[in-house]
Amino acid sequence: MIPIDRNRPTAVQQDVRIKIVGLGGAGSNTLDRIMLDAPPGAEFVAINTDMQALTGSVAAEKVQLGRATTRGLGAGGDPEVGYAAAEEALDEIRAAIGGAQMVFLCVGLGGGTGSGAARIVVAQAREQGALVIVFATLPFTFEGRRRMAQAEEALAAVRRDADVVICFENDKMGDAVAPLAGIQDAFTTADQTISQSVRAIAALVQRRGVMHLGFDELATALRCPGEAAPRCLFGFGEADGDNRANDALARALKSPLMDKGRMLDDARNVLVNVAGGPGMTLNEVQILMESLNRHIGDETRILFGAAVDPRMGLRMSVTILSALEAQVPVAMTPRPAPRVVAPAPAPVERKPEWEIEEPAMPTVEYVDSDDAMTEPEPMPLPAEPEPVRVAASAANPVAKPKRAETKQEQMQFEPVARGRFEKSEPTIVDGQNLDVPTFMRRNVKVK
Amino acid sequence: MGKDSIVVGLEIGTSKICAVVGETRGDGTIRILGVGHAPSRGVRKGEIVDFETAGKCIREALVDAEEKSDVMIGSVYLGVTGGHIESFNNRGAINIPEDRDEICEEDFEDVQTSAREVSIPSQNMFVHSILQHYFIDGQDGVLNPIGMLGRRLEADFHIIHGVANRIKNSIRCVKEVGPEVLDVVYAPLATAQVVLDQNQKSLGALVIDMGGGTTDYIVYVDGAVQQSGSLPIGGDHMTNDISLGLRIPMAKAEKLKVEEGSVLLGESHPGEMIVLKDETGFAGKEVEREMLNTILHCRARETFELLKRQLDAEGHLPYLGAGIMLTGGCSLLKGIDQLAEEIFGAPAHLTHAHAVSGLTSAFENPQFSTAIGLIKYAEAMQPERPKSLLTRVLRKFSFLWMWMF
Repeated sequence: MIPIDRNRPTAVQQDVRIKIVGLGGAGSNTLDRIMLDAPPGAEFVAINTDMQALTGSVAAEKVQLGRATTRGLGAGGDPEVGYAAAEEALDEIRAAIGGAQMVFLCVGLGGGTGSGAARIVVAQAREQGALVIVFATLPFTFEGRRRMAQAEEALAAVRRDADVVICFENDKMGDAVAPLAGIQDAFTTADQTISQSVRAIAALVQRRGVMHLGFDELATALRCPGEAAPRCLFGFGEADGDNRANDALARALKSPLMDKGRMLDDARNVLVNVAGGPGMTLNEVQILMESLNRHIGDETRILFGAAVDPRMGLRMSVTILSALEAQVPVAMTPRPAPRVVAPAPAPVERKPEWEIEEPAMPTVEYVDSDDAMTEPEPMPLPAEPEPVRVAASAANPVAKPKRAETKQEQMQFEPVARGRFEKSEPTIVDGQNLDVPTFMRRNVKVK
Repeated sequence: MGKDSIVVGLEIGTSKICAVVGETRGDGTIRILGVGHAPSRGVRKGEIVDFETAGKCIREALVDAEEKSDVMIGSVYLGVTGGHIESFNNRGAINIPEDRDEICEEDFEDVQTSAREVSIPSQNMFVHSILQHYFIDGQDGVLNPIGMLGRRLEADFHIIHGVANRIKNSIRCVKEVGPEVLDVVYAPLATAQVVLDQNQKSLGALVIDMGGGTTDYIVYVDGAVQQSGSLPIGGDHMTNDISLGLRIPMAKAEKLKVEEGSVLLGESHPGEMIVLKDETGFAGKEVEREMLNTILHCRARETFELLKRQLDAEGHLPYLGAGIMLTGGCSLLKGIDQLAEEIFGAPAHLTHAHAVSGLTSAFENPQFSTAIGLIKYAEAMQPERPKSLLTRVLRKFSFLWMWMF
């Protein structure tokens, strides 16, 4: 029996310190977009060689690369120049991203600064003990093979070091925009999507969920076998009103990188995080997962998380994240056993401070429950998962998949039959779908 | 009279579409001339989901009715229902202008407008505003205020509203087939016109119309509509439940429900089996009777319980002096009245259209209550029509107005 310290501070929750870094021209643009509705508590750093672009950025912290190498001009599309410029400003980069527990790096690959300096920034961040999530944008095909090759090379390098890489293909993002939309709109949409995913992931990591999803699940969802760059599927939707569960899901599936959910069928791991205000009911979550399950194959593992956040009010949001093996493997320089994405135990090996603190917190908890925070009353439920959590973070490689397995069993959202009402608008009362036979919902044995 | 007195009620139901041709007489009675019906397709839970298919079925039903009644159908009263229709009670109030102290007809219009000045969702439109009571200077029990003296006229209305586009879609679907739509009527309101008499309305009654796609209800207390609504659950759900639970096709499930189904538990012998015949007439699959009844019981109980919750919210249940009237196709299920009595704690009766003459087979069938009710509704609306041509045009306009907004 494990003694429970009744006086332990159940939820001295420190917000994870997040720095969002925009690197290069594309990265800075994205950063400006993210700042429009920034995730709470995040700090922004703009890094660029081009002095003019840097001055235009609204980020609080700015780092100029290559004062001597480029003298305030851009890297001219040459990654070598970008790399050299970043080497030169190594100390400044380190100072700018220091102290962060997580670094979100937004970078457009293919150009000089982004492709060249990305791996240095990633390496520096990791050296400082931060978890690194890279939001990389790949160039349009029409930008030429050379640029694409540079981007792929840089992506491979970044992949080796970063914990998670989320890859946005400009070509795919372009599909999402109407063909007649202005080029400005097209780029805005792309930036918007990236900004949304940054926010969603920041929220995912910061919010303590009723069913919590951590960094490891994030890494699992984006892990993909094969060497080729996996295609990232990302969807985010938010809605309120009576039918918010379905509306939020519909919006998430409409996201440009989601392909209306068609691709989800082939994904191995899908991360789904549902967040809502205190009024969110289990049944709503059930309904949402039920309809999502129709898009997901039987073999797919669902990493499910739910969070209650009073700030959400009456809204409900759903974040879907997954990665797919690229259909056409791109020829890449063969590397001995490359790490496609850092495996899940990565954060454990390095044990950054905040990661160790985590076991002290119960996994089952409402963010908003002030009572639970102050009351020293022993809560049997929150205490329960603790030993599991400790075992998991004790770098026990067996414990990890096991934990995921048990979670899987708990969250069996069997697609319930609606028969002839399958295609019609569901009738939902109190979160129950009335089209599903009553005897099934009430577990009355038939036969 | 003459041509004007022929009225057609059209109900687009989930399981069947029926058109009833009736003749309204001066003395308030109606005579059924013919009933046309066709199985319905393209309708789910009382709402049209497939325009084209539903249109074909409407045509079939209308042609059938024309043949049987020998009447050319040029216009219909259309019954609408669906889970989107909601209702509430609201009081309208106006002050009579200083320069006169007699209440006149236009004040009535004004008070109705004032009662409608409430926020309904922007996509909704008003279907009915039904008068409940008048108050003059705070004094209640006024039956007809026109001509009376007073400073302030108030009136309680029961207001029914629904999603405009869905209602317009039904109208459009009928118009595309041919006939004009004279008015849209909320189905349970029409039903109540023929299953309740004036006495029952005054005593207080609950009418539950259990249709294929929806279960509609309406509550009368003190002779006025107090509450109404629709649950998008009906016989279709029961059939679907049987089909899924016993793993038999929908058609067989429907047959089984109609021929063998009961909503009472413990009525069958343990282990009693029903043999399903296959197409060739040979014995096929066997189903335990208790299983069938359990499935039906669960669904019916849940439907009634949901209904009861809505009724409890308004608190009219203890005042139902005339009890509960069950009608609609699903009321033919065995034991449904007993189950309703058990859940609502009030006597329940199976009922069908009264106060009509003509085809007995038609009005004694609870499946046709709504369509016949539409005729009665139309008849009830007629004497209200003012005599002058101008106001009649205005009145017509106000019908239009009803579904324009």
